[in-house]
Amino acid sequence: MDLRKVWKLLRGRRAVSVVVSNVILTGAVIAVGFVVLSWTQYRSSAYNEQYGEAMNADIARLKERLAFEYVFYNYNSSGGYLSVYLMNCGTVDNVTIQTVYVTAITGVLIQVNSNVTLRQFNGNEIADLDRGEEGYFVLSLPNLISSSYSVRIVTGRGSTFDHMFFA
Amino acid sequence: MTICFSLRKRVRKLIANSKGFSSVIGTTFMVLVMLFLSTSVFLWTLSQNTMYNEAVRARSQEEADRHDENVVALSGNYSVSEEEVTVKVVLKNAGSVAVQIINLWVLDTYELNRRYTNKSLNNLNLNPGDVLNLVETVTILGANASHNFVSWFVTARGNTIPLEKEQGVIIAQLAQGIGSITMEFKTFRHHIVDKNNNLGPAQYGFTIPGNEYTVFGINLTNLDESKRNINLTGYSCVWLIVPGTSASASWSIVKVVDGRLVDFDFQVLEYGNPTLIFFGKTNPPASLQWKTAAVNLLLYGKIGSDDYGQNIPFISVYVTG
Repeated sequence: MDLRKVWKLLRGRRAVSVVVSNVILTGAVIAVGFVVLSWTQYRSSAYNEQYGEAMNADIARLKERLAFEYVFYNYNSSGGYLSVYLMNCGTVDNVTIQTVYVTAITGVLIQVNSNVTLRQFNGNEIADLDRGEEGYFVLSLPNLISSSYSVRIVTGRGSTFDHMFFA
Repeated sequence: MTICFSLRKRVRKLIANSKGFSSVIGTTFMVLVMLFLSTSVFLWTLSQNTMYNEAVRARSQEEADRHDENVVALSGNYSVSEEEVTVKVVLKNAGSVAVQIINLWVLDTYELNRRYTNKSLNNLNLNPGDVLNLVETVTILGANASHNFVSWFVTARGNTIPLEKEQGVIIAQLAQGIGSITMEFKTFRHHIVDKNNNLGPAQYGFTIPGNEYTVFGINLTNLDESKRNINLTGYSCVWLIVPGTSASASWSIVKVVDGRLVDFDFQVLEYGNPTLIFFGKTNPPASLQWKTAAVNLLLYGKIGSDDYGQNIPFISVYVTG
């Protein structure tokens, strides 16, 4: 094809009819419209997902509840041990223990333990506590002077539960 | 009429003219889509908030129920037998909600034997106002009757119910007044024994037959202040004597196994543990018949490693003919 003819076609406005221009314009508007719609849907889905996750996490945390059945500190020749007996009396399963803090009544932090082995009362190791389930863990502690202490449990969902004990 | 005609003409013209119609449909469609999307997001957010509020409400209700739990553990008492600790307690639900008790914890507070144990209690539900006499036995290594114990119950809602021990002062005073033994007057019974040494049914009361071989059954509780066991020997007996006369008779301490008299060796009264002791068999002599007799409990043996001897005049009986 002669280049001069192409150039003439592009430069000449008489050949572009109203119908063609409308088709091109409508197509462009529809394309942009679908892009905007898809983006809106994507954004709203992402928002829904994030909000849903945050809300479900909040609800699960709200349903978590650990009861301290007994906290026992014993010191003998092999060292000090703190046994903490718990029961999941909340309404949500899979309560894990993330961190355990032991503090003196004065607020002085005595120990932080993030590696807690949870066991059933019969000694079997378990990963979490389901509804109504009981379990315990044992921490090695230094020799504590006779006083009141506090044990704080932080669960995997971020709830905290405190209990006082006397050494 | 003219206005109406003019309007109708304009509408007909608007419908007939298709210019710009597609733009209206497109805009309407777009607005509807946007409305649908925003409404969906709004309603979904609302439903999530509703779920959260529902969870908050449920949590508040649980907290309220937990605070409304009010179970009291009264008249607590401990008895120990070979490292087995028996806890006797009266549980009373004084709250407004039903309570499920799931665990009993017992702690030996003796300094050299600070051990503890727990026992699961199945199907122990208390409705508001319920009163339950509970006897549970747990094993604590090294437990001894001279040790002190602390126990508490755990409910399914996570509350703990401390056991309130029985009034020790009153028991001590009682024990001080009559020695180391208490007896239950209400459960004094006698049995008629046949020639094969089989006991008949227990007959409660203070009138005994004068022409039958009888065995007395007396509930005794050792309340020694030092919490030592009492070991009764075969010299212990019940002695009936009629005032103003020399008429008397005695019923030696015996053992009963499966409703039958067997040879007596010894009888241990553990601290705090009510024990049914039998005396007999004896046929009251004619000199006792149709008379009221004083009943004396003559106990002899060892208390701990010390000698023990005690005479307790505790009831009177009428002997028929």
